Amino acid sequence: MSSTTLQAAPPSAAPAPRATRAITSARLLPWLLLAPSLAVLAVITGYPLVRMLWLSVHEYERAQLLGVPAEFVGLDNYVATLTDSRFWTVTFRSFAFMVVCVVLTITVGTLVALLLMKLGRVMRLVLSVGLLLAWAMPPLAAMLVWGWMFDSQYGVVNHLLTRLTSTSWTGHLWLIDPLSFFAVAALVIVWGAVPFVAFTLYAGFTQVPGEVLEAAQLDGASARQRFFGVQVPYVRSIYVVLIVLSMIWDLKVFTQIFVLQGIGGIKSETSTLGVYIYEMGMAQGHYGAASAIAVIFTIIMLAISAYYVRATVKEEQL
Amino acid sequence: MKILRIGAVGLAAALVLTACSGGSTDDGSTDAAGGGSEGAEIRVWLVGTDTPDEARDYLTSTFEAENPGSTLTIEEQSWTGLVDKLTTALSSSDSPDVVEVGNTQAATFTSAGFFAPLDDIEADLGGDDLLPGFVKAGTWDDTFYAAPYYAGSRIVFYSEQILGDAAVPTTLAEYVETAKSLRTADHSGVWFPGQDWYNALPFVWENGGFIAEPGDDGTWEAGFSSPGGIKGLEQVQDLMVNASNAPKDGDEAELQVPFCAGSTTFLSAPNWIRWSIQAEADADTPGCADTYGADLHAFPLPGAKAGQTAKVFAGGSNVAVATRSGNVDLAKKALTIMLSDEYQTILAENSMIPAKKSLASALPDDEFTQASAAAAANAELTPATPKWGDVEAQRVIQDALVKIAQGGDVESIAADLDARIESILNG
Repeated sequence: MSSTTLQAAPPSAAPAPRATRAITSARLLPWLLLAPSLAVLAVITGYPLVRMLWLSVHEYERAQLLGVPAEFVGLDNYVATLTDSRFWTVTFRSFAFMVVCVVLTITVGTLVALLLMKLGRVMRLVLSVGLLLAWAMPPLAAMLVWGWMFDSQYGVVNHLLTRLTSTSWTGHLWLIDPLSFFAVAALVIVWGAVPFVAFTLYAGFTQVPGEVLEAAQLDGASARQRFFGVQVPYVRSIYVVLIVLSMIWDLKVFTQIFVLQGIGGIKSETSTLGVYIYEMGMAQGHYGAASAIAVIFTIIMLAISAYYVRATVKEEQL
Repeated sequence: MKILRIGAVGLAAALVLTACSGGSTDDGSTDAAGGGSEGAEIRVWLVGTDTPDEARDYLTSTFEAENPGSTLTIEEQSWTGLVDKLTTALSSSDSPDVVEVGNTQAATFTSAGFFAPLDDIEADLGGDDLLPGFVKAGTWDDTFYAAPYYAGSRIVFYSEQILGDAAVPTTLAEYVETAKSLRTADHSGVWFPGQDWYNALPFVWENGGFIAEPGDDGTWEAGFSSPGGIKGLEQVQDLMVNASNAPKDGDEAELQVPFCAGSTTFLSAPNWIRWSIQAEADADTPGCADTYGADLHAFPLPGAKAGQTAKVFAGGSNVAVATRSGNVDLAKKALTIMLSDEYQTILAENSMIPAKKSLASALPDDEFTQASAAAAANAELTPATPKWGDVEAQRVIQDALVKIAQGGDVESIAADLDARIESILNG
């Protein structure tokens, strides 16, 4: 811009101010457009975050809800949480469960996405509708139906197993053993999470250029080599997003575990972080302690997503 | 380009305005509820299906007749998760006006100031005529907050055609032996789900154990691992493992279902479940009036010695006015109707022990009510401390009982249970 105005000397006075005004308003425009969303986010996410931090450094019980002033206790809630063995048990349990769920979700999602690519039009439509129905069903309603299916006396699962095997499964309690409890929970959570992963990966795989795959096939690459050597690198960034999102969602899971605990099982041996925070805060009224746990949990999740944010920013800088 | 830019900013501004306006509707409704007694809506939260429809209709019609222009709505809540639900609701600006709470949960709320004091209307509610144990449960720091609503206790039901020739047990040990002898692969002697702690407590009490008692210095000591407690828990384990086919992690909801399916001989349940069992087969909650409900009988749980009844859990509810109610005066009027002689007589006619001692004569004169009255005379309550609500919310007793139902070692489970209870009560 500036080089042209230097060469054409007479009309230089007029275009220069208009040019700089255009540049500054061009720089301001993105912020102006973002401002409403930022404002809404600040209220909906920012205020609760600030309040949670405030609650975590005060002693806040049921009486404080009705106006008794809260006492500032500094890091007492954090110390109490980090020295509580129950907190560490629940955290390790949540992480182990999250790893299992994420591995299963991504694996099954990838397989379903590959299946979607190979199917004919009609079957692909049928499968897509089925996936969408599973994804659209509200978690609470889905949990009630799954709970009935696994009911010990009248459930479909026990009935089918009795038919298929020669032993009687009637009365078998699925939720009483923690491992069995988490197997059922993993089944339900993966069932609900696979559609999103499958559709996203399907969209990604269809973008892989057919010529590259053909060339690889002509070169003698087997299906497995083509998948890992050609398709996966193309959709690598999609995988990163899906894995990070799945990790956060599966660590945060609340509805499924809470409803299953209401149906059966031993509460103290099956709580994950989401349910533990609810129990500490809402059920027992220790809002300060629950906020401290929630802050620690947020820091952990920020660490997980920081990796993704850094990777994305680096990619864009290229 | 310029028009596009203006259009974009304008659209963004419109979105901001819609986001802001979403918040103002809440203030509008609270103003309407709080302003004066004209056209106010009182919300009453009743828990479970215990209160009969006749009583609910009486409450609504009497309130609306006495307070023209105001309406009364009854909202039914479930017992599961009631404490968290009430904590959130009673501390919000959209609080219900009158709430029912379990008698063991009252202390959690009275001690935190969730209820409005009822000292000014205590005489109108019944004064000394109110059940003393419940008045005590609803009082905190010498202020009366939660009035008694109804009482009840558990009795043992059986159907004559299923019991057959076996004799009705007269001592607790006989009860255990009879139940064990009647059990087969698909028929229970007694239906004892793993989480049914209310029915496990009588065994602990009858053997000399206790839940928790305060020491001289105020610290609580739990008694499940005392010698009496262990003996009682061993009897419970005997019943759960050798006499019951109920789910080891089931709870005490919908007990008429296994009874009406003929799956059990004895069923220990609150006395008003008699109405659920004797409901018609095509009612909303089906019963078995034609089959096992036809020759239904009941007896109070026998004590350790013949001729005595066992100490049972004192069931029942209290009812209170919320501090944050939009209209405390109208709410107190609704409460007064719920404790009026007419309303309590309706409850009594439905086999619920009324909140006023003088109305006990209105109870039906049948064996169920007599059994229940005999049991209630020897009823015990949970420790009177606000932290007891935490013990119930964390379901520590239920978890321990589920482990006992699976055949675990009673002594170590009882010791862990006591440690958990003491850390919650003293912590």
